[in-house]
Amino acid sequence: MAVAIAAARVWWPNRGLSQAALLLLWRPGARGLARSHPHRQQQQFSSLDDKPQFPGASAEFIDKLEFIQPNVISGIPIYRVMDRQGQIINPSEDPHLPKEKVLKLYKSMTLLNTMDRILYESQRQGRISFYMTNYGEEGTHVGSAAALDNTDLVFGQYREAGVLMYRDYPLELFMAQCYGNISDLGKGRQMPVHYGCKERHFVTISSPLATQIPQAVGAAYAAKRANANRVVICYFGEGAASEGDAHAGFNFAATLECPIIFFCRNNGYAISTPTSEQYRGDGIAARGPGYGIMSIRVDGNDVFAVYNATKEARRRAVAENQPFLIEAMTYRIGHHSTSDDSSAYRSVDEVNYWDKQDHPISRLRHYLLSQGWWDEEQEKAWRKQSRKKVMEAFEQAERKPKPNPNLLFSDVYQEMPAQLRKQQESLARHLQTYGEHYPLEHFDK
Amino acid sequence: MAVVAAAAGWLLRLRAAGAEGHWRRFRGVRLARGFLHPSATVEDAAQRRQVAHFTFQPDPEPREYGQTQKMNLFQSVTSALDNSLAKDPTAVIFGEDVAFGGVFRCTVGLRDKYGKDRVFNTPLCEQGIVGFGIGIAVTGATAIAEIQFADYIFPAFDQIVNEAAKYRYRSGDLFNCGSLTIRSPWGCVGHGALYHSQSPEAFFAHCPGIKVVIPRSPFQAKGLLLSCIEDKNPCIFFEPKILYRAAAEQVPIEPYNIPLSQAEVIQEGSDVTLVAWGTQVHVIREVASMAKEKLGVSCEVIDLRTIIPWDVDTVCKSVIINQILEHINGGDLLLQSVIKTGRLLISHEAPLTGGFASEISSTVQEECFLNLEAPISRVCGYDTPFPHIFEPFYIPDKWKCYDALRKMINY
Repeated sequence: MAVAIAAARVWWPNRGLSQAALLLLWRPGARGLARSHPHRQQQQFSSLDDKPQFPGASAEFIDKLEFIQPNVISGIPIYRVMDRQGQIINPSEDPHLPKEKVLKLYKSMTLLNTMDRILYESQRQGRISFYMTNYGEEGTHVGSAAALDNTDLVFGQYREAGVLMYRDYPLELFMAQCYGNISDLGKGRQMPVHYGCKERHFVTISSPLATQIPQAVGAAYAAKRANANRVVICYFGEGAASEGDAHAGFNFAATLECPIIFFCRNNGYAISTPTSEQYRGDGIAARGPGYGIMSIRVDGNDVFAVYNATKEARRRAVAENQPFLIEAMTYRIGHHSTSDDSSAYRSVDEVNYWDKQDHPISRLRHYLLSQGWWDEEQEKAWRKQSRKKVMEAFEQAERKPKPNPNLLFSDVYQEMPAQLRKQQESLARHLQTYGEHYPLEHFDK
Repeated sequence: MAVVAAAAGWLLRLRAAGAEGHWRRFRGVRLARGFLHPSATVEDAAQRRQVAHFTFQPDPEPREYGQTQKMNLFQSVTSALDNSLAKDPTAVIFGEDVAFGGVFRCTVGLRDKYGKDRVFNTPLCEQGIVGFGIGIAVTGATAIAEIQFADYIFPAFDQIVNEAAKYRYRSGDLFNCGSLTIRSPWGCVGHGALYHSQSPEAFFAHCPGIKVVIPRSPFQAKGLLLSCIEDKNPCIFFEPKILYRAAAEQVPIEPYNIPLSQAEVIQEGSDVTLVAWGTQVHVIREVASMAKEKLGVSCEVIDLRTIIPWDVDTVCKSVIINQILEHINGGDLLLQSVIKTGRLLISHEAPLTGGFASEISSTVQEECFLNLEAPISRVCGYDTPFPHIFEPFYIPDKWKCYDALRKMINY
């Protein structure tokens, strides 16, 4: 009888059997005991209780028909540390970063801005085939990068060059990839801005959107198994967050308890598609709790807010082996790419507002000025110096030859298959006869 | 109390039966045992389900790899996975339902043996499974992903084709996911219909950067799977599900490797070359016997084993007429002209148009044109989705292959 009174599991038999048998079974284990994860307390089964027994949800009954209203009027609030004039609002949130670090943040953002201007122009002049600028989003890159360890693995989408900049990726290599020249570590295989750097733990960018999200989760799982004390950070835009891969990544990260930071750059547009056509809910941060993920929304143009959120997310992700979702609100000041003219779908006034009134670089500059760590003279000198650095790297990159055409064929597999080697030989023979019709003079011999 | 005990006993037997792989094989198909009627009499044979269209022929017991044990295909897969996880501490196995042993029992016992952080279920999401696997492999750890049926691999197609296959190339070899292997049940099973019978190798054959491997037997499966897992390129390993139980032979307990991209001539012959992979190898083996018996025709039977990169040389050499071959035998000079077949028949379950036989056919006619005595023959599934009740008519069975062979001989 003690068995009957104790927690038991009721089993109704399958159809087709002659007699119904009510079975009381004591089954300790996953269903009977609370799991270790604090969010998943399973109830104990009892035939005497009127509580829900469903394995699929931990909830009480309700006898009033009520649909939950999605809250998009007053959505998840936006965490910020500085106001638009770069003044700290709540002193207890000031990260009190040392001067060198804040200067590094500032110089990374401004150097990136300078490089963007020059490379955008170089595409316009036909020197490189394509470019994507980062205007307006520099704060999301450096704020988050500064909060990570140098060995934390980064999976990006394509508008995170500031992360590499902060990690001191040389201008020469940025340019080499855009020019596809002989110094490109990627061996000239991809379009411009598809950077990658093994040394700096920045996984090579690929064009398909959101594919990096479940990959980042796998990498985080492996880091957890290896006790590496590393976090993986995965950047993506609010448009990419609509992809199935994003849903897959969030769900896997939560169920498999991975130390990962999902960092969404919500910049208002996916090429020409505004957020009102991308989603109807409260942005991306609101999706996190649906997956069981700790989530926050931050002012992406406030470097300190981005820094604080990323820092805390990193600490907890590694300590607790759980994912964190940061939605950084920002604005894409530039066009989507050199193939886009955004005046076709948004007003110049809108763009100017963000450029003039709420820009991560100016807000941090105001902070620097108010701290007495920067002034007009240093600003002028730095602008001149950064422009000079970029121009030097640019001129060098222009002059270098492209890689040898044999590199068209390698790295498809670790070893070259016999049939591919035959194709490589066939191209070599073809060039012997028809070489004059190919731009061989620009390529390494 | 006795009633409770009896009921408990009945319940446990039911659950044990429920766990029995055969009943849990197909998604959404639940066979309530209570509804089975007593089987029909022999006179109703026409109503009973067909017997298999092939006879599995085990290979002779391998002697070079140490002690062997009789294993069927799913057990040989388990053995390979067991060896891998034992050797490689970074190796993990994941996918839908792999934790309890898998719907085809390929992962039975591995979670208990190696731990829940190494053998675990994922949510129901193929694009997630493959993407997640790529990420593990990018860090250098060994990722062994399972896609529950090859028919469901398509959500992962982008991750496989656009990501896994191109990882090394696009990064200039800075990054790669070579330690990723994807395993998936493949091919017809008698009653699988559209979504439990597909052979999608042709879709992946068009994708440079991955390897696609299909074994014909338990011994082949273990050696090929171990090679895939250890290969430094992302591999897809398709397992003929109809052979999971039907194929059993002696398989070494210790690990061993069978090389990838090497076809195997399992029977030498001089009149016709027959090429197939997976289950179909056993069909063409039988066709070779029929040809010998009824037509006096000598067939060379080739198991392709790796679909890409495929072993062009072995297939072409089988077709090309060789020049005079000199043998020096105990001092005597022996001149021998070895005339190879000049005729090629390729067979696969997948639909004819765009099937992998078209790639083989195209390459062989390029390389061996003047040596061909007849047009290359392809005996394949029809250009339809894989039907349920019409399966016996759909599949490229031994009679269709035999007929095509006969036409080639008489060309």
